[in-house]
Amino acid sequence: MSIPLLSLIVFVPVAGAAVLVFMRSDDAVRWTALGFGIVDLALCIVMLAGFDTTTHEMQFVESRPWVAALGIAYALGVDGISALFLFLTALLGLISVLASWVAIDRKVKEFMVSLLVMQALMLGVFCALDLFLFYVFWEAMLIPMYLIIGVWGGEGRVYAAFKFFLYTLAGSILFLIGVIVLYFQGGETFDILALTAQDLPFGVQSWLFFAFLVAFAVKVPMVPVHTWLPDAHVQAPTAGSIILAGVLLKMGAYGFLRFSLPMLPEASLYYSTLMLLLSALAIVYGGLLALAQDDLKKLVAYSSISHMGFVTLGIFALNLRGLEGSILQMFNHGITTGALFLFVGLIYERTHTRSIANYGGLMKAAPIYTAFLALFTLSSMALPGTNAFVGELLVLSGGFAANLAAGTAAVVGALLSAAYLLGMYGKVALGPPSVSAKYKIHDVNGREMAAILPLAIFVLWVGLYPRPFLGIIDASVRNLLVQVHGEGIGQ
Amino acid sequence: MTAVALLQWVLASVPEIIVVTGACILLIVGELVRKGRDELLLWASVAIVLLAAVATLMLAGEIRPAYAGMFISDSFAVFFKLVFYLATVLTFFLSRKYAEIEGIGRSEYYVLLLFALLGMMIMASAIDLLSIYVGLELMVLCTYVLTGFLRKERRSNEAALKYVILGAVSTAIFLYGVSLIYGLTGTTQLDRMAEAVSGGPLDPALLLAVVFIVAGLVFKIGAVPFHMWVPDVYEGAPTTITAFMSVAPKAAGFAVILRVFLNPLVEASNAWIIVAAIAMATMALGSFVALVQDNFKRLLAYSSIAHAGFAIFGVVAGGQDGIASVMLYLLIYAFMNLGIFGAVIMMRNGDFSGEVIDDYAGFAKFHPGLALLMLLYLFSLAGIPPTAGFFAKFYVLVALVERGFVALAVIAALLSVIAAYFYIRIVMVIYMREPERTFDPALTPLVRATLAFTAVGTIGIGLFPAWFLRLAQQAAFGG
Repeated sequence: MSIPLLSLIVFVPVAGAAVLVFMRSDDAVRWTALGFGIVDLALCIVMLAGFDTTTHEMQFVESRPWVAALGIAYALGVDGISALFLFLTALLGLISVLASWVAIDRKVKEFMVSLLVMQALMLGVFCALDLFLFYVFWEAMLIPMYLIIGVWGGEGRVYAAFKFFLYTLAGSILFLIGVIVLYFQGGETFDILALTAQDLPFGVQSWLFFAFLVAFAVKVPMVPVHTWLPDAHVQAPTAGSIILAGVLLKMGAYGFLRFSLPMLPEASLYYSTLMLLLSALAIVYGGLLALAQDDLKKLVAYSSISHMGFVTLGIFALNLRGLEGSILQMFNHGITTGALFLFVGLIYERTHTRSIANYGGLMKAAPIYTAFLALFTLSSMALPGTNAFVGELLVLSGGFAANLAAGTAAVVGALLSAAYLLGMYGKVALGPPSVSAKYKIHDVNGREMAAILPLAIFVLWVGLYPRPFLGIIDASVRNLLVQVHGEGIGQ
Repeated sequence: MTAVALLQWVLASVPEIIVVTGACILLIVGELVRKGRDELLLWASVAIVLLAAVATLMLAGEIRPAYAGMFISDSFAVFFKLVFYLATVLTFFLSRKYAEIEGIGRSEYYVLLLFALLGMMIMASAIDLLSIYVGLELMVLCTYVLTGFLRKERRSNEAALKYVILGAVSTAIFLYGVSLIYGLTGTTQLDRMAEAVSGGPLDPALLLAVVFIVAGLVFKIGAVPFHMWVPDVYEGAPTTITAFMSVAPKAAGFAVILRVFLNPLVEASNAWIIVAAIAMATMALGSFVALVQDNFKRLLAYSSIAHAGFAIFGVVAGGQDGIASVMLYLLIYAFMNLGIFGAVIMMRNGDFSGEVIDDYAGFAKFHPGLALLMLLYLFSLAGIPPTAGFFAKFYVLVALVERGFVALAVIAALLSVIAAYFYIRIVMVIYMREPERTFDPALTPLVRATLAFTAVGTIGIGLFPAWFLRLAQQAAFGG
């Protein structure tokens, strides 16, 4: 009997939340939450250290019957597609705790409990090998996220929380019906691996593809079901935005990779053009919307829609470069956009305004802050040497191979991102000082630096030496391509 | 008719005999209990129910038909009786303090609840339309009186009157259906009815009879189009009685519906189309109208209509999984609904009624623990995992899809999204509003115990549904 590493990873945050419930002082709560976050991250690193990159098989597998009468099992495992996301989730969870250190000043205990529960559920989503278990994790996330946005959010938090909740619930409830249909079509099992091995008739695949699409498209979010995202992001506290952008959005794309592609290969191929065009639409439309924003958070939120368009573009290019690029890009987007939301949060704590027009000349007042902001801005627009360059390049080359029009649109989107991001940076950091004259802005402190540095390291590490990251995902992506295209074709 | 056979019959109905004897004794002795010693009544009533529960469990092993085809003690009946016991005992616990505040804690209150329990037990065991009728009437007569128990409150009187009149009409309709059945088949026994019609072409008059019976039964579970009484009665009745009525008599109604509808006769008459229409209309109406309610009890009334609609989807699915899904749904609903009612009842203290949703604004600030429990019940009612409410809905959907009703499953699922809105709206009021007043919930040890017990059930069945699922499946398959 080996150590159930994945169960530990998933349930350490739950244990942390349970401990927090009995604590009284706010400081003790913060430090304890941080401690459990560090333990969880360490466990993820142990998992990655023991991860075998040569196989596409599930690793660290655990399986126990849960509801035997319905063929439901408690089954966990990771492969190349999910491994990086476990790490990303634990890392961003930790950074969220740091980001809320002083930003959250009321109901600290409740907040940290919600955050840790949220982290556990997200980790569970990425390593569930049973569809029912996956759905439980997936849907249960609504509860803590609803509270995080609704209790600790900004002015319009209640509206944003409702919108987030109902959009996601409506999307995933159809997914649930799809799961049940799949259960009966696939021989009364919820085992994801067994269902992947099934060969379903095309008609069924088509229906299921669209049932799944609704759920995943809402989460990603793809245009036209993206409208919850700007509201949720703008109203959520910084930690909520980091979790939302960094991890939650990845789940939709992860759903495509884990379910739609391997279980419904014929439908995925058949509808891939549609998906490519929707992705291209998201890239351009999200970029144009971002160009018009004055609110910093909204700008980053719309840029997320555009960047997630790259991810779905890469997925439905259905070739090696596209898929590897999109998985890497999901990781990158988590790091970079998480960092950008962190930066917006940091400056908002100091000035209490998010309007770009109020800023200017921050470089004088906060040189370290603006230097790192420059790094992440450049990373977000995919400058060579940063992480997103590698991902976007792979996605673009895969995208062009699959569909010329979509590829072209993506290039336009990349140009747009340079326009809005540089514009934003120019107005905030350069030029004559405005807010910094009125408010006394202190530069980043040690705690904030502790949150920023790991993200900065990953920006450069992936940008300069992406091999270890691509190595983790390679075997699983190749196997996924075989599942979609059949033996021998997958390139 | 030998003495041994008679003894067998009596044995099969020992739980009912315990309850009826206990209730009669309590009716007489209860008058002798001095004022201020009301808790004696409570504990005596609880003891009677627990005794009946022990007897029921001891008889659970085998199927025992009794009273010449009128009555049966099988695992199906046992399951429902356990739900009734659970609901009744928890209602007693919740009643103690509430009855004191409202001044209704006399012996009749407990006796009437016990007789209502007896009626429900007979309904669960009845396999003849006439014994069904007897149980049904016994139950509803008691609930009529209990509804009007707040004698000085006009709302309560009005509710009782409305309930009696509408209830009498629905009973008459039911009886008319029974008489038609008897005229056409020559029997009122459920299984003989099926034999009488098998083979020949279906008489259109039979369909009419079935529709009448359906109408009479649907009234009891508060489904559309016979739901009009529910909001008024739920709002006007003492809150403890509302809690009781929303769980136990509803479950009893479903017990009869399952016995009657899954009879081959009804299956042959294509009544499932009517039932499917009822399920959709019920759920839609309950969900949409609940969106605009300000009164907590009224909202829970519409919520209970919506839940009845969802459970009827399980009846539509039919088959063993369909039956089991309805039964599991009712069990889980008993836990979460009594929990949320417990929270409403506890708010009633002093002059404060706690019936308006806005009364709960900022509740989480002063009572984080209680707020968390309410959060749990509300998300369970909304059907969000990992709570039990999710598993209940999930299993109904599984049963529907298994029988090929995918479109119905989609409709049921989408309607439950609408229903989710008004539950999370209450969560919003509790957590995201600033408090306007301080709270002084009437938290007696009994209320605490009830809340803890229902919370454990709500989260426990959600996390470990396997055992409860097997229980429901065995009850459905074996009976």
